[in-house]
Amino acid sequence: MISTSETILRTENLKKYFPIRKGFNPFLRREQRFVRAVDGVSISVEKGKTVAIVGESGCGKTTLARTIGLMTQPTGGKLYFGEKEVTDGKIDRNQIYRNMQMVYQDPESSLDPRMKIGQSIGEPLYGLMGWEKKVVNDAVSRSLELVGLSADFAERLPRQLSGGQKQRVAIARAIAIQPSLVILDEPTSALDASVQAQILKLLLDIQKEFNLTYLLITHNIAVAKYMSDFVAVMYAGNVVEYGPCKTVISKPRHPYTIALISSAPVPDPTTRNLLKTEIRGEVPSAIDPPTGCKFHPRCPFAEAICTSTDPPLEEISPGHLAACHFLNKTG
Amino acid sequence: MMGPLLNIQGLTVAYDSKTGPITAVDHVNLQLQQDEFLAIVGESGCGKSTLSLSVIGLLPKPPAKIVEGLIQYKDTDLVHLPGNKIREFRGTEIAMIFQEPLTSLSPVYRVGDQIAEAIVIRESRKDRKTSIDSDIMQRTYKRNARLLKRTVRLKHKIPADLQEEVIRYLTLVRIGDPEQVLERYPFELSGGMTQRVMIAMALSQEPALLLADEPTTALDVTTQAQVLKLMKELIRKVRTSILLVTHDLAVASQVADRVVVMYAGQIAEDDDVISLFSHPLHPYTQGLLSCIPSGYKDDSQLKPISGSLPDLRGVQIGCRFAPRCPHAMAVCNKQHPQLIQYGENQKVSCFLYD
Repeated sequence: MISTSETILRTENLKKYFPIRKGFNPFLRREQRFVRAVDGVSISVEKGKTVAIVGESGCGKTTLARTIGLMTQPTGGKLYFGEKEVTDGKIDRNQIYRNMQMVYQDPESSLDPRMKIGQSIGEPLYGLMGWEKKVVNDAVSRSLELVGLSADFAERLPRQLSGGQKQRVAIARAIAIQPSLVILDEPTSALDASVQAQILKLLLDIQKEFNLTYLLITHNIAVAKYMSDFVAVMYAGNVVEYGPCKTVISKPRHPYTIALISSAPVPDPTTRNLLKTEIRGEVPSAIDPPTGCKFHPRCPFAEAICTSTDPPLEEISPGHLAACHFLNKTG
Repeated sequence: MMGPLLNIQGLTVAYDSKTGPITAVDHVNLQLQQDEFLAIVGESGCGKSTLSLSVIGLLPKPPAKIVEGLIQYKDTDLVHLPGNKIREFRGTEIAMIFQEPLTSLSPVYRVGDQIAEAIVIRESRKDRKTSIDSDIMQRTYKRNARLLKRTVRLKHKIPADLQEEVIRYLTLVRIGDPEQVLERYPFELSGGMTQRVMIAMALSQEPALLLADEPTTALDVTTQAQVLKLMKELIRKVRTSILLVTHDLAVASQVADRVVVMYAGQIAEDDDVISLFSHPLHPYTQGLLSCIPSGYKDDSQLKPISGSLPDLRGVQIGCRFAPRCPHAMAVCNKQHPQLIQYGENQKVSCFLYD
């Protein structure tokens, strides 16, 4: 994909396979099998923009986030932050983490139950940034204020907070060091509708204020639509469609994207798109994925070529790519 | 059929806690007609699950307690029914599907056996028979004869007529190759398949009322679409009424005929689906609707409801939504609004419409 000077993050054919252990005796394990969680993903994220990775459970979106977040070593491919390649594992991680932070799905488990909120937010400021105590205290209360919590929350414990407040704290911790990239892994999936709206609004406001870059992992099309500038749709470890948010959502071309968007319930009883959806079957196993195009067993357009050849990502219009043999039929 | 299938009047359910009772469901009035698809929508802690559990008599008592109220199913009052009598309704008349299909199926029995067992129970109830002669029932109920059970299990095959019946229900829920699926264990099936098996099992009882508590929350969107579509078809095919409990307004708008919005244990609004989404009356419903992201990044703005859910402990005075309500008036903090009829099909509990 095109790399500009403002590209903050770029992956080239990034792969992450997890080996499956069969039995205890290594000599008996003749054929090594893998869960192909991420199977060749190339994306790039530009400064100040939001790229959403959309897909169903098991499509590899969280593994992709974890690989980009340097929490696991990629099996293959390349990962760049800015101009710097960070694939080989010899890099100074703290250097990277000063520019990249993550917010996780479950605010319950991403905060230490015994640490006060202020300590939780302040920890990376001491450890990672090496700031002075006074500076840290200022930064903590400033970032708490940014996420809409009063400064006295710093003295509270996570169990005294509601789910939405905890997620706000997690966001405050991520932005306290003023990173350039924030990876949001399903930031609102564990929250109620009204709280989700508050958090989404907050994330957008913060992005505007600091020109932050987001990599948003979500299964919720409506959230991706509301939050992002670019959307990458993942299916069974691959990106099957990528493009500007408006184009992908309003004119999806890959049959899977079409199915995914038409299955997402819209709050409108007069259209009832959900009852018209034609999708059948379920996400395939990542251990023995179907040959050729991984979507072919569920695809209404599938023909012989789909079972043998995996289609490459093709450019349909500038910046809009999809991987399908029959893009002429879906348009 | 005269009158509603299910009639809930003034139902109040409280959970005991160390710091006093928590009123999870507070004076709820609700009617469900024959062949109706009703959705109860609300955020976590609004009492929607407690309400559905109290209908089927599965409330954990204690700590839960039905303080007052009436749950009338056809002509029977379910609240004052003794435990052994309510079992006659559970399954046969009122069936339930839960959120996690894998935890509601037994992991050690094959799927076919579990559905067959349900069918056998149904038949034995129909005949009012107490003796159970089918070998599946023997296998299931003779818990002491473990050794026997093991040998039976190895050779065991469901009787042909029963198998036919099982296959009929599996086909009804659109399972592709029912002959193979009934030989499998729940863990060998995917999430969508197990939820279909749960629905098949519930339907095998030919219930007049199907309670579905977040049936698609654990599923992916494409699978969710398939399961909801199936439920919508079933209401026509097998003539069952469905009470769907969900947190997702969008899901409710897609399938339900009528939607009840709950907030903090009380009904905020009770409308038919079209008018609820075109003219929401209660400020909470309006707020919830504007919380659903629908537009694109730069041309839309969410209007979240400020604040958070109230504490349900202790005595509540006034409207529970008042602290978060943009239209709150003086009366809202003093008095609790009643659920009043507004227009033809709409009911709302808000002083704005008094």
